[in-house]
Amino acid sequence: MRRRPGIGGLQNAAAARDQYRLLGENVAKLRTDLMKEQLSTFRSQLEDFARKHKNDIRKNPAFRSQFHEMCAKVGVDPLASNKGFWAELLGIGDFYYELGVQIVDICLSTRAHNGGLISLEELCKLLGQRRKGAREAVSEDDCLRAISKLKVLGSGFEVISVGKRKLVRSVPTELNKDHNEILELAQAQGFVTVDEVQRRLSWPSGRATDALETLLDEGLAMIDDGDKDGRRRYWFPCVSSISSYAGADTS
Amino acid sequence: MQKLGEFKLPHFFNYPPYFTLQPVRDTREKQVQLWKELIIEYCRAQKVFIIGLEEDFPLFSNRAIERSLSHEARVAFLSALVSDGRAEWTDKGHKKCLILWHRIQEWADLIVHFVKENGLEDNVMTVEEIRSGTESRGTELYGIDRSVLMRALKLLEHKGKLVIFKGTSTDDEGVKFSL
Repeated sequence: MRRRPGIGGLQNAAAARDQYRLLGENVAKLRTDLMKEQLSTFRSQLEDFARKHKNDIRKNPAFRSQFHEMCAKVGVDPLASNKGFWAELLGIGDFYYELGVQIVDICLSTRAHNGGLISLEELCKLLGQRRKGAREAVSEDDCLRAISKLKVLGSGFEVISVGKRKLVRSVPTELNKDHNEILELAQAQGFVTVDEVQRRLSWPSGRATDALETLLDEGLAMIDDGDKDGRRRYWFPCVSSISSYAGADTS
Repeated sequence: MQKLGEFKLPHFFNYPPYFTLQPVRDTREKQVQLWKELIIEYCRAQKVFIIGLEEDFPLFSNRAIERSLSHEARVAFLSALVSDGRAEWTDKGHKKCLILWHRIQEWADLIVHFVKENGLEDNVMTVEEIRSGTESRGTELYGIDRSVLMRALKLLEHKGKLVIFKGTSTDDEGVKFSL
């Protein structure tokens, strides 16, 4: 457009800007529309897929997990509500709800023993035992999903990572970094001694005793004064499996 | 699951810290509860009536994990049973403990049931027959501690359900039922 001097020229420049802006908006709208259409196609294909593979999704935990990932990529949450297409088609809303209830129950019934902290592995194992007759097998991934739904309900459930393991917390106890490090240390043999904590983590003596005492008070640790060498051991039920306590220890 | 003879031991029995008295109140409560239940169930299954604190009672130690209950712990758990009315110290020094996995009233009810089951309502039996006769074989009364039996019988006598009479020596004490 030829630049013209004076007021007329300015008005032309403004008009030009407006037109460019309109064009820009149209392009953006076009892009969004395209995307919406693609997404909608994607979704209906996902629905077809789900319909076809409904049984596999229900029966096979690994398949189920991959299906969830696919849904997440497309922005579909089959568990968002218990009603609607997904819940009805797959009935998996109920499945996770039921799982959530069982998980809460297990956490409550083991709380007196482990202080409200249980390893994901142990939780899944106990869940498996409880669901012996059920059609659907349960994986750790399923547990994590059910727990994340529980979290949304504000029930105080949370999954924390300690070393290589995941622990499920069902009480409001906050664990600080010191506590976490002790738990990680305890995973090797199920217990630690004050000496060991000091040595391995290079802590001054007060720090180790303080942390261990807190864990004791919170019900996450238990003392054991029965060892031959007379050193007090602090055991952590949450890192052991209830049904697999060792016979003779190997230290 | 580990066993003691035919008795199935609970999982906590293999977890070392349970053999040390826990200092934290909630943990201690849980610990005492578990031990109380274990002691009662074991005594019921093995028909143990008296536990000697300084003796080798099988539940007091677990060789597999090299742990034993301290004297203090033994006293703590048995005292809890005593508070529940499920046990009694037989001596002032708290060295022996009578375990009432059935309370005396429950034993009395069992005797009444036994009498009715066997059609002995108007019969006479010796005390010894009640605890070791052919009719009692297979019932919970078989092998019952004699002093416990006497207390249950006295309770029933007090209610007018029977009369205890002496024979020529203690072993001949008899009971006439009048249910």
